[in-house]
Amino acid sequence: MKGFLLTIVSALLVILVLNVGYYKDWFQAKPLQYWTDFLKDKDDTLSLEGIMASRYGVPYTMSMRIKRVLEAKHVVNPIILFEPNSYLRDSLHIYPKIHVPEPAVFYYYTGLEGVWTNSPDAGKANFLVRFTNKGISLDVIRTPEQREQILNAYKKYPPIL
Amino acid sequence: MPFFVFILLFVCYLVSGYGVLTIFGMKLKTAYMITLSLLLGIAVASFVPFLLQLFFIDLNPVSIFLSLLLAALVLNIPTWRRIGKEGFPAVRRSFALKPLRILPYELPWLVIFGFLVFVSIWRCYYLPPTSRDALSGPEAIAEFAVREHTMINSFFNIDLWSTNNQFKSPYLISLQLICKMAGFPFGQVWLSVVFVSFTIFLYHALKERVHPVIAGFLLLLFLMTPEMYAYTFMILYDYSNMIFFFLSLYFLFDFFKSGIRSHFYFAGLLMGIATYIRSETLALAILFLPVILLSQRRSKDSLRKIMKANLFFFLPSFLGYYLTAQLYIKYYLPVHYDIGGLVNDQLSDLQPLFQRYSDIVTRLMVSEFSIHLWGYILYFTDILFVAEGLFLRRYSREARNWLYAILVLYLGLGVLGFLLPMMNLNETTKRALFKLMPLTVLYLANNELLIRASRWISRWEGTPIHLFAAEKPRAARQQETVLAKKAPASAPPPAARSLSKKKHPGRNR
Repeated sequence: MKGFLLTIVSALLVILVLNVGYYKDWFQAKPLQYWTDFLKDKDDTLSLEGIMASRYGVPYTMSMRIKRVLEAKHVVNPIILFEPNSYLRDSLHIYPKIHVPEPAVFYYYTGLEGVWTNSPDAGKANFLVRFTNKGISLDVIRTPEQREQILNAYKKYPPIL
Repeated sequence: MPFFVFILLFVCYLVSGYGVLTIFGMKLKTAYMITLSLLLGIAVASFVPFLLQLFFIDLNPVSIFLSLLLAALVLNIPTWRRIGKEGFPAVRRSFALKPLRILPYELPWLVIFGFLVFVSIWRCYYLPPTSRDALSGPEAIAEFAVREHTMINSFFNIDLWSTNNQFKSPYLISLQLICKMAGFPFGQVWLSVVFVSFTIFLYHALKERVHPVIAGFLLLLFLMTPEMYAYTFMILYDYSNMIFFFLSLYFLFDFFKSGIRSHFYFAGLLMGIATYIRSETLALAILFLPVILLSQRRSKDSLRKIMKANLFFFLPSFLGYYLTAQLYIKYYLPVHYDIGGLVNDQLSDLQPLFQRYSDIVTRLMVSEFSIHLWGYILYFTDILFVAEGLFLRRYSREARNWLYAILVLYLGLGVLGFLLPMMNLNETTKRALFKLMPLTVLYLANNELLIRASRWISRWEGTPIHLFAAEKPRAARQQETVLAKKAPASAPPPAARSLSKKKHPGRNR
């Protein structure tokens, strides 16, 4: 009987902790939500890339699209210049919802070299990823003058994560 | 197929870790032997690919898995000798699984723990690593190491201006590399082994001190620290660092109490592993020297013996620091990293130090943000700490040890933040505070008010009825009831005693 009472006390304590203050919000938003995700994910037939796309979001999808475009064009040694995230924040106002990955993460996603505008290798960039109101474009940088012009245009926007 | 490989890896971790335990002559409860073996096995595995890299050996599945096997065999040389002398039963005794003894009132706790653990394991297995610090360093290096068979790979040829994560310990790289080569594309599954092993260890450690109802409550508070729970399925350094740092202190404090010398050296090894995972742990380790010296003064050892013992205690930490933060970075990585240049050059200005101490308290410990990070565990600890001081006017020696550890951590993190400005408050210091959580939980388990409450519950309860356990003879039960009634003020509750080895009630060996 006493063991039974202690079991009731234990159960009540568990319920209390799960329903008190911030624990309640957190438990519903995280572990319970994760459980719901599990019920959905366990029957999922997503490929690895699909799982990564759903986890990493726009930066990953964008990176993989760039990779596919370059592979289709059989480009050798592409170096992709990214617009600074501060430009996406201050000029296009789409940051942080949409942001470009840092070169290290872009390399992890795609195996391609990306550079920021302040990178020592920025002078070797031969492609530019440009965000516009219509979407994302991958422009070819044809001449050193054009590259210089692009880098100057972004000079007032320091790269941020 | 990956499941089969995982089982093999699991066994390999278990055997390697058991080898380490036997080298140190550790004789503990089965639950501790198994969980510590797994944790140590993971630590050994994290060192194997790194060691191969130091010798410029090609990192391919054959070299890595053979080395893991070899490590497991070599570390168990004392075990083979023991088997030669005493036969297999000697080893079987270490892992002797007694009948599962679960008290009915443990069930609600076990259900919620099981839920939290299951969800964590699933996410660990199914989702790719997400933390930015992993993606921009160890995870990317591991991914390209799988393809290029070296940790010093093409990742270092790209623009790494925005990250310094490539200079961190090879702990994550090695473990990710092993899991990826074993057929888990996202790696990570090792983290679940770490998480589950540590949770079981902690639950048993708590049950040795307080009644299972209170132990369950404390463990739930520990598991429901929102920030830390996320790192049970997102690989990074701090969760593992917390575990080995805590385990080191656990055995160090046990040495203070029991005087078992092997526990002291074992604590040194665990601190070394913690330092290997996060090099700045070395600074925290050194801050425990005063309390170690105090304990040694009490034991009246000779100066030579004290110096020798302390050398062996700190040696693994110095090695862990040197191998990762000096040797590997300076002489192996192709990119230069000036650690000296990161140190604050205005050391005479102490204002930032006091500001850091203030920020740690006001931002990370007693604010709404802190509740989002740790839940209410720190508030609960504060209340019981004050209540113990007010009502009892003393703290037990064990409680004082854990309070000292909390103080060391607080002072140490403040100084580290002052010396290394790049160790920012909201990310690095926040994650370093993971180490605070098990310390507070163990302090609570040694809080006299909770111990008295445990004793009161045990006396009121009488003889507990175990689920899934054979019925004891009536005479034995009556004897236990008498013991419970006669239990001295310092003895652990009967429920706790029943979980320890019979020869040493209340002790974990």
